Amino acid sequence: MVRLITHNLLACHAKDCNTNNFPLEFKDVQLEIREADFNPDFLKGFMPKIEWKALVDTARQLGDTSLPLEQPEMLDDEFLKNLHHVLLEIHVEEGSMTCPNCKHVYPISNGIPNMLLAEHEIG
Amino acid sequence: MPSRYLFHYAQVHNEFRLPELQSIAELYGIPYTLPQNPEDRDSTRPFMIVELDEEEHARMLARRCILIKAVYEYYGHGSTYDELHEVNRKNESLWARYVQDTSFRFLVTSSKHKIPQSRQREVIENFAYMGFLGKIDMKSPEIILTCFEEYEERHGTTRVKHEGDGEFRQVFFGRLIEEGSARQLVGKFDVKKRSYYGNTSMEAEISLLMANQTLASPGKLIYDPFMGTGSMAYPTGYFGALVFGSDIDGRQMRGKQKTPGVIRAATQYGIASRIVDLATFDVTHNPWRCGELFDSIVTDPPYGVRAGAKRLGRKRELSERQKELCLQHSLAPRPDDQPYIPPTKPYELSHLATDLVLLARYLLKPGGRLVFFLPTVTDEYEEVDIHTMMCEGMELVANSLQDFGSWGRRLVTIRKVTKERYPPPTFDPMLREANEETHIPAHKDFREKYFQGFKSKADETKG
Ligand SMILES: C[S@@+](CC[C@H](N)C(=O)[O-])C[C@H]1O[C@@H](n2cnc3c(N)ncnc32)[C@H](O)[C@@H]1O
Ligand SMILES: [Zn+2]
Repeated sequence: MVRLITHNLLACHAKDCNTNNFPLEFKDVQLEIREADFNPDFLKGFMPKIEWKALVDTARQLGDTSLPLEQPEMLDDEFLKNLHHVLLEIHVEEGSMTCPNCKHVYPISNGIPNMLLAEHEIG
Repeated sequence: MPSRYLFHYAQVHNEFRLPELQSIAELYGIPYTLPQNPEDRDSTRPFMIVELDEEEHARMLARRCILIKAVYEYYGHGSTYDELHEVNRKNESLWARYVQDTSFRFLVTSSKHKIPQSRQREVIENFAYMGFLGKIDMKSPEIILTCFEEYEERHGTTRVKHEGDGEFRQVFFGRLIEEGSARQLVGKFDVKKRSYYGNTSMEAEISLLMANQTLASPGKLIYDPFMGTGSMAYPTGYFGALVFGSDIDGRQMRGKQKTPGVIRAATQYGIASRIVDLATFDVTHNPWRCGELFDSIVTDPPYGVRAGAKRLGRKRELSERQKELCLQHSLAPRPDDQPYIPPTKPYELSHLATDLVLLARYLLKPGGRLVFFLPTVTDEYEEVDIHTMMCEGMELVANSLQDFGSWGRRLVTIRKVTKERYPPPTFDPMLREANEETHIPAHKDFREKYFQGFKSKADETKG
């Protein structure tokens, strides 16, 4: 935890931070790889929700280059296995996520990100 | 052609029985027909005759419905043995195949009563016309035939042993198909045996019933926005779903050790990999990038009794100490949610309930379900209370009361029936008050009412 599936769904939500607020940038990360159940139907169903470029860029930044730059049309087994690994098996245990726009830092500790806003950041 | 099956139910959480059956039948795509006569589907009674297309469907239901004790192939019933035998003879085609050489065991039992041995034998002898030739096997018979007498519950009266024997309401007869194996999960998920729990943890049986209302199964994504110690995440994860949790107070999910408490408990159940992530945030200021993400949302919202409902913002001017903490937090945020505790303000329950339905409409996929508890004041509750929190595109599926006397809580199941996309809710009380309907639900200001001991309006003016 924080897995990349989650990272792909979280945007900075500070007050008035509405553009360029995604993807959050990982810093000083400690990674762990942990196995998860492979479910091709889940992956296929989830693909339309993915911001593909953000996922590929983030995976590469964390050292996984298995995903193609463009979302492929043909979803073969090898691709799905790679996607499964990237989305569900890479865990960011420590570090932080920074908003590219307002620079808010969301710290991660023991795998749990603190997404709380400070008082001046809520609308 | 559909056949009849006899469902033996645990006589607990009666109002959850039919919603659970509906949910699991929907999950597996099992068509079923309930008895026509309301008396015969009365959820306070131990037996119900249900029509199903296949025996396998009965087994599937027995393996997943928490409230099912066992399912039987139905052979007959009646308010007297004569009536039962008449039906049973007519149904000979159902049991004729066991006559020749099937080993069997015959049981005579009852609910809320003990039948004397001598009469049990007598009952069995009266089935002699079935002419079973196979051997009687008490240990591992090929089939078990059971005859149940249903006695009325007699609250508060102590009966002398065997008193009223034979004065049953109805008697049922059938062949055991499957014992309800899901009931064992109530023990498996026992909170006291869990490696991490807190004073907000939800009892196992109710958490399981909630998980069934979500239609949890492999490949589904489920979210609890008031995660706390994660009670509902364990059964939903156990049924195969992937679960997200968030809470305004990270300490509820973490506990005191390095590995978060929720993960420790999930590990105990072998489902740690299904807790997709945990995150600390106020659900009214949430970071979800888009909607239509989840198959279900399952949650026990804070209603101010054990865990106060709160949201970011301030009730009144901050103390110097809090200001200092705020400043420190924005300069150098601490990763572990401590010591910084952001200022919060109370969150009134009827607002929270309305917001939750709007949030669910945004975050659920079309067809997805919102399953949550709404506490309410028993004397003041009216059915319209539920409708004060509904919005366009959301439809009530079930509403089951767990009764605690002067108050209770209702497990509400709502389905997103629209395919339309809606914006996220604004969570703005100002905007809402302008549109608020005139009906004031009984759950409004629940916390205050709870601590005042649910005095009615009339009492107040008298006093
Ligand atoms: C009744 S408890 C849920 C208990 C949980 N089902 C369990 O098993 O422990 C409600 C939770 O909501 C959290 N909470 C209160 N206000 C919140 C908010 N605005 N956003 C997110 N979480 C909140 C509390 O910290 C508390 O843990
Ligand atoms: Zn930002």
